Amino acid sequence: MSTMRRAWRLTFTACALALLAACSETPKTTGAEAGMRLLTEPQYRQTIADVFGQQITIGGTFDPLVRTSGLLTVGASAARITPAGLEQLDRMARSIAAQVTSEENRDFLLPCAPADVRAPDDTCAAQFFGTTGRLLLRRSLAEDEVASLVRLANVSTRELGNFHDGLASALAGLLVSPEFLFVIEQTEPDPKREGALRLDGYSKASRLSFFLWGSAPDDELLRAAEAGELHKSSGLAEQVNRLLESPRLEQGLRLFFDDMFAFETIGRLEKDAIIYPAFSTAVALEAREQTLRTLMHMLLDEEADYRDIFTTRKTFISSALGRIYRIPVSRPDGGWMEYEFPEGDPRLGIATHVSFTALHSHAGRSSPTLRGKAIREILLCQRVPDPPGTIDFAAFNDPNSPAHTARDRLNVHSIEPACAGCHKLTDPVGLGMEHIDGAGQLRTNEDGYAIDASGSLDGFEFQNVAGIGPALRENVAAPACLVNRLYAYATARVPARNERKYLKYLEGEFADDGYRVPALLRRIALDEAMYAVKAPSTRPARVTDPVTGDPS
Amino acid sequence: MKLSSGTPRVIHGFAACAAVVLLCLPATASAQQGTLGFVITLWNLGSYETRFVDECPEGLNVGYDEYWWRGLSKPDRATLTENGLKSRLQRYFNAIRRGPNGEDVCMNPTAVTDPPLLLVEGDKAIGMDLDDKDGVAAGRSCPHREFTGIDGTAGVDNQLYRLLGCVYGFRSYGQVEANENENRKSNGKGMTLIEITGVDDPRNDPDVTVNFYRSIDLYTLDGSGRFLPHGSYRIDMYNGKPRYGSSVRGKIENGVLTTTPGEVNLPFYGNYTYQNRLFRDLRLRMTISPNGDSAEGMAAGYLGVDDLMFYVGSIGPIQSTTISNCPSIHVAANQIADGHPDPKTGDCTTLSSAFVFKAVSAFIVHDKGMRTAGAGRGLLDRLKGVFK
Amino acid sequence: MTVLLPRPVTRRSVLRGALGGATVGLSLPFLDLFLNENGTALAATGAPLPVRFGTWYWGLGHTPGHAIVPKTRTAAGIEFLTECQALKPHHDQLNFFGGFNMPLDGRSNYTHFSGWVASRTGTAPSTNSEIPAPTLDLLVADHLSNNNRFKTLDATACGIARENYSARSTNSRAAAEASPEKLYARVFGTEFADPNKADFKPDTRMMVRRSVLSAVNDDRKKLMQKVGASDRARLDEYFTSIRQLENQLETQLRKPEANQSCAIPAAPRRDGAEQNMPQGLEVDTVIANHRVMAQMMAMAVACNQTRVFNMVFSDNFSHMRRPGQTYTHHLLTHEETPDTDLGYQPVAFWFNCRTMEAFATFIDAFANIREGDGTLLDNTLIFAATETNYARVHSVDGVPVFSVGKAGGRIKTGMHVVGNGDPITRIGLTMMQIMGVPIDNWGTRSLQTSKTISEILV
Repeated sequence: MSTMRRAWRLTFTACALALLAACSETPKTTGAEAGMRLLTEPQYRQTIADVFGQQITIGGTFDPLVRTSGLLTVGASAARITPAGLEQLDRMARSIAAQVTSEENRDFLLPCAPADVRAPDDTCAAQFFGTTGRLLLRRSLAEDEVASLVRLANVSTRELGNFHDGLASALAGLLVSPEFLFVIEQTEPDPKREGALRLDGYSKASRLSFFLWGSAPDDELLRAAEAGELHKSSGLAEQVNRLLESPRLEQGLRLFFDDMFAFETIGRLEKDAIIYPAFSTAVALEAREQTLRTLMHMLLDEEADYRDIFTTRKTFISSALGRIYRIPVSRPDGGWMEYEFPEGDPRLGIATHVSFTALHSHAGRSSPTLRGKAIREILLCQRVPDPPGTIDFAAFNDPNSPAHTARDRLNVHSIEPACAGCHKLTDPVGLGMEHIDGAGQLRTNEDGYAIDASGSLDGFEFQNVAGIGPALRENVAAPACLVNRLYAYATARVPARNERKYLKYLEGEFADDGYRVPALLRRIALDEAMYAVKAPSTRPARVTDPVTGDPS
Repeated sequence: MKLSSGTPRVIHGFAACAAVVLLCLPATASAQQGTLGFVITLWNLGSYETRFVDECPEGLNVGYDEYWWRGLSKPDRATLTENGLKSRLQRYFNAIRRGPNGEDVCMNPTAVTDPPLLLVEGDKAIGMDLDDKDGVAAGRSCPHREFTGIDGTAGVDNQLYRLLGCVYGFRSYGQVEANENENRKSNGKGMTLIEITGVDDPRNDPDVTVNFYRSIDLYTLDGSGRFLPHGSYRIDMYNGKPRYGSSVRGKIENGVLTTTPGEVNLPFYGNYTYQNRLFRDLRLRMTISPNGDSAEGMAAGYLGVDDLMFYVGSIGPIQSTTISNCPSIHVAANQIADGHPDPKTGDCTTLSSAFVFKAVSAFIVHDKGMRTAGAGRGLLDRLKGVFK
Repeated sequence: MTVLLPRPVTRRSVLRGALGGATVGLSLPFLDLFLNENGTALAATGAPLPVRFGTWYWGLGHTPGHAIVPKTRTAAGIEFLTECQALKPHHDQLNFFGGFNMPLDGRSNYTHFSGWVASRTGTAPSTNSEIPAPTLDLLVADHLSNNNRFKTLDATACGIARENYSARSTNSRAAAEASPEKLYARVFGTEFADPNKADFKPDTRMMVRRSVLSAVNDDRKKLMQKVGASDRARLDEYFTSIRQLENQLETQLRKPEANQSCAIPAAPRRDGAEQNMPQGLEVDTVIANHRVMAQMMAMAVACNQTRVFNMVFSDNFSHMRRPGQTYTHHLLTHEETPDTDLGYQPVAFWFNCRTMEAFATFIDAFANIREGDGTLLDNTLIFAATETNYARVHSVDGVPVFSVGKAGGRIKTGMHVVGNGDPITRIGLTMMQIMGVPIDNWGTRSLQTSKTISEILV
């Protein structure tokens, strides 16, 4: 072969290889500014449970968060603490501290006992705050920080006459301190890139731990952070593997789906006791548990294709749910039973679970619009616009032909142009679910009138609720939605513009991985994107009027 | 997260199946047959009562307490009743032991001889024709007056009603039955499950089998204490076999189930007394609601005199409100018993009776082990278009 | 005309700069006293009785033509129609404001949201969750209520804690106390200091807690340097909340002044069936909860636990319902066919009537507590409003507003005020001014106003 040809071949190969490498290279992102996010209620509870144990009870109310990008965890990145909210947190802090130092718990929660229980014991206090403070503040405490906590405990002990009470007072202060309640991310210069910043080890540890475990970093992860291991891909990989293999992964993933599926109100779900006598708060809570168990079993235990959650017949049932689903339940231990809906039963997948159908209904009847909206917004990450303010229903209420079924009642929405735009996003989907009533029960008619449950979702037509699952499974927005939500959850903020390419790439990888969620979690946790951070903007934040464009 | 695998071998309530059918299922599968399940929620004596107690022309019966009091001297009356201030309940423990040697006359009804029990004299009763009119002739029953059913049926046999119909406590406003149903509702004892198998069409099927079991699970109630349908109830098993499990054949016509007579053991609980009641020649007539969620009906058959007297006697201090008297009931029961003559003596040993009951649909759970979830598929196909 | 009452001075009484989009002036030191001509009401002890401010919220407006007879000019005399019959006995404690509009300047009318946000914050929201400025009760509280145990007390009778119509911003919104038990525990629970108890000893634990919070405060400077500009404001708000908590402790470490009007109410108890079925949105439950909570709230105010309070009867989407009925109040307003003879939606109207009855109950709770030589209501000013005029069409023009109470003699009552299309913010501005907030204009864009409703000023 001539030299020219060889050269061409080499160049060609080199180019091809470069192209190939470029195609499979992870898109770079610049991330966003380091954040300061409030611990959400589940994160707060999980952290306390992990640090002090499940036996600690926490009562009280948390300030409500604003759901942003579909997640409360993202809303927490802008949340503030009101005086009433802090009052509640303070009460919780004191209660937790009292329990930690109580007679039942102090022997195994405190690393030492005081020399004299009526007097301060600075050594013991120092030992306690050194270890506990590290776990609560998610970083090692400096000597002077420990010293001031010890001093506080000392003074309190003198005032109260009891070491444990004094310790509890100082611990309560720790539990109400902003560095506990807020995850305050810190940056440092990135030695690998001139002029650029990176998250410090502790901040990386917090992001990783809240992502996979829904809780503060444990001792080992903090150690790895301190040793700088999280800045090296091997060190990060080791920790990511450890977190993924731990049984605590299930806790973390539950917290994520709880947020994504908006289950936080399900404990308060009310149904009319006359129309739906079988429904109760217990049913509502068990419905949530049913869905979470189903998800954990499929996604973690079986590492199934994510899209299968919409079509699976397998689930778990408790006796209260058995009455709603009208399926027999054997109660060997009064708990949960594996169950598979038989062939021919139209209830496939989580969209037919009570946790979905009953949650997105009214107290006394179903709601195709609420269900359609929920499918769009929660499962497909699509936005349904708000209803217009000025609609008069006068034209639609004809007393001579009353609407018997939901389809009749919603008919006008599809005719009237002002309504149709949005309702065509929600109603055709939700109407397909009308064989499931407002409490999640299967029915054949609505008050004696036949139900026409034909519908469609983005071109996928179906005759009844049995088609919703397959429609969702085929919808490309569904897995993309999970990817976007998980990434937003991992970074606890709205994805930035510079991350769009990365998210597209991630969606592609998710498909290549067979839509397996543990693989996706690993990718997100190992990729640089999750930890990318950029310098704070020096310009003051400016709010402009979205309508006029004027600065406000 | 591993859980106990294996759903119970269970038979589906058909309401769910019916619903499924409408949803355009492809027709497949062989003709398998379905099952209906019910749990009895209310069980009462079939007692026909008129507003002015016409069926008891001589009034209601005197109770044990009165008999005891009548037998006391004036000074004894004063002492033992504390000048009339002691309640009947407080006096019960003395009053019931009015046998000549201090015998409890409920445990030993022959210890005293009391005036005869006043029986129901009316013509109408709730019940069924149990002896098919020629029962006496065929030597299967003893002569007795028959009633006309409230639905017009001739030849209704209900000697239990005749016996207890004029005893205050056993009437609908007396204490006995109200207590029984309340007890069963709260402690879950004596819960009967009715399982109908071999059902091709839940509204019309000429040949089904009806099985009776005892439930070991409590009733499921809603927030206001009403019975909820579609609960799951495990049956009482012992050594791999149901502890009850009597079986009869039947048919369903327009949603009404009727069975052929059979010997049926039913669990019974009431007023602190548990019984395995044996009903002979028991027939069921039960109307199932159109949506299958509930049912109500009548069970008529022969109840042994001994079984009855065991119960009447065991009620104990509740007698203080029932105004009943064991010795007279005992004598009358033996006298008017109309079924199953003793081969040796010729005396009848059972009383024809009728009970009215209500039930809600239930999943009846047999032992562990998966029953194919496809059971009832053929049923589904047949139901297509039937249900509105 | 602004009025300032003397109050214990702390260096923290001074407001810090602009809040949100509204402009609020800096407060003046207490030495500048402007008394009105009639003088302030005096209690037996000689110290002026504090004037309190509160809001009462109800969802889904009125039934037009059946609530209040509209007028063309502001004048004395409110004519109540059937829906507002229950308010008749309270005519002399009320002012009604009709005909005030809510121009949104092209922003969407977010149904059941824009209405309350615009009227309470002075600015129309630009998304369906934005709260662009602090609600007026917080502006009053910032001015008045810094040395009370609670800066504000927020409660709701319909059980939905997050529907609290008092908020400082989108992300700063407290949960309202959502049950009588919760409200009671918060106010009259173990930490309540009975002003009429003879012996008072400052609780050592409170002193310790104060030191602990003070230590938290010490880290402030260091922490502020760790966060970016946008987060500094959030941290700042956190530290403001810490200070409020410290204030609370200081209040409890001071011996409370004897207070004849204060009597600790009995703890709420649920009997029998109620315990098992707390169906929070059944209308009878809401009414019952509201009655109890109104009494507790009034007593909390009489006991000077706070000077600013917020009560929600039904939430903005009024999910109230009746047992066995598939329709909620909200669904009825849209789907119920108006009766051709009556001219309105009968069942929706029924709910509105129950709502006005509850309003009367709330007023009663304050009117029934004696204070000085009058009642608590005489020394209170309540802003009672909703988020829409006719719920069926989500109209935000002519949204009905009432004022309740005599504000310590500073306002006239029994007036029907006609807005003639003026922005509804005139009402909030006037009320804030009556409460002594040093503010002379409020609101943004077309909702901005500086026109006090002088007709109701004394």
